[in-house]
Amino acid sequence: MADRPPGLPEEAQEVSSVGFNHYVGPYYRLPDADGGETRRFAFVVADKHMNAGGTIHGGMLMSFVDMAMGQSSRLATGATGGSTVSLNCDFVGPGRLGDVIEARVKISRRARTMIFLSAEISAGDRLLLVATGLWKIIGAP
Amino acid sequence: MSPQPNPAPPLPGFVPTHLVDPFEIYVGPVFEHGAPGAKTYAMRLDARHMNRRGILHGGMFMTFADLTLGQAVWDLTNKAPVVTLNMQTHFLKPAVEGNILQVTPELVRRTRALVFMRGDFKVEDETIFTVQSVWKLLGQS
Repeated sequence: MADRPPGLPEEAQEVSSVGFNHYVGPYYRLPDADGGETRRFAFVVADKHMNAGGTIHGGMLMSFVDMAMGQSSRLATGATGGSTVSLNCDFVGPGRLGDVIEARVKISRRARTMIFLSAEISAGDRLLLVATGLWKIIGAP
Repeated sequence: MSPQPNPAPPLPGFVPTHLVDPFEIYVGPVFEHGAPGAKTYAMRLDARHMNRRGILHGGMFMTFADLTLGQAVWDLTNKAPVVTLNMQTHFLKPAVEGNILQVTPELVRRTRALVFMRGDFKVEDETIFTVQSVWKLLGQS
C-alpha cells in the first residue's frame, strides 16, 4: 500500500483499487456528513495531476468527481454497477499542488434504474467545481 | 505496475500531439492529423484507462475531451491563455481496451472573451460520447 499523503484526515480510507482510478489516484473515502445524506471523498494533489499553468488539470477534477458520484450512486442504492449517462461540470476556481481536495455528493432523486446526483469539489474553504449528473444503475435491489 | 502505453500512432498519417500538461502526458499519448483549426485527434485506449468493469472510465473520456477541445481552442486563438469554464457531456455507448477514440473538435462560436466548442467522439464511425464546453480567454472581458 502506498504511503498516505500528508494532510489527509485520520479517518480517510483508500478506495481506489483498480484501473484508471488506481492509475490517477489514490482516492479516499471520508465519513458521511449530514446524517448520511452527503457522501465524501478526497485526494491530495500531486505533480502528475497538474497542468502546465500550475493548477490542477480539469480532466483530473472531472475524473475525481465522476468516481465520487459513481461510487455514491452505488452506495446509496446497493447497486452492483452503473455508468455515467450525463455530467455537467462548472469550473469555479483553481486547485493547487498539495491541496487536499474533497468531494461532497448528494442524491437529488433516485428512480428505479436512474439516479440524479450533485457534487461540490473544494479545497478547504475554496470551491473548485460544481457538478450535476445522471447515472444508470445496475443490480440495485 | 501499470501497463506501458503504445507509442506508435494508432492510425496512418497521425503524428504525436505535443502535450505540455503533466496530467495529459501521464494519461497519453494523443495523436493528431490535419491543419490547425481543423485537426482530428486520436487515442488508442489501453488498460490504464479502463474502470473496474473493463470499460473506458468516464474520467478518461472527459480528460480526452478537455485535452482535444483545448488544443483546438489554442489553435483558434493563436495559443492565448484559456481556461475551461464549463463542460457538458453525454455518454452514449461504452468504449473498451484497444478501441481508437477519435474527435474532430468544432468551433460553435467565438466572442472576445469566450469560445464555445463541441465534439462528437467516435470509435470507427459511431459516435459514442458528445461534449460541449465553454472556454474563457484570460484577461479578456
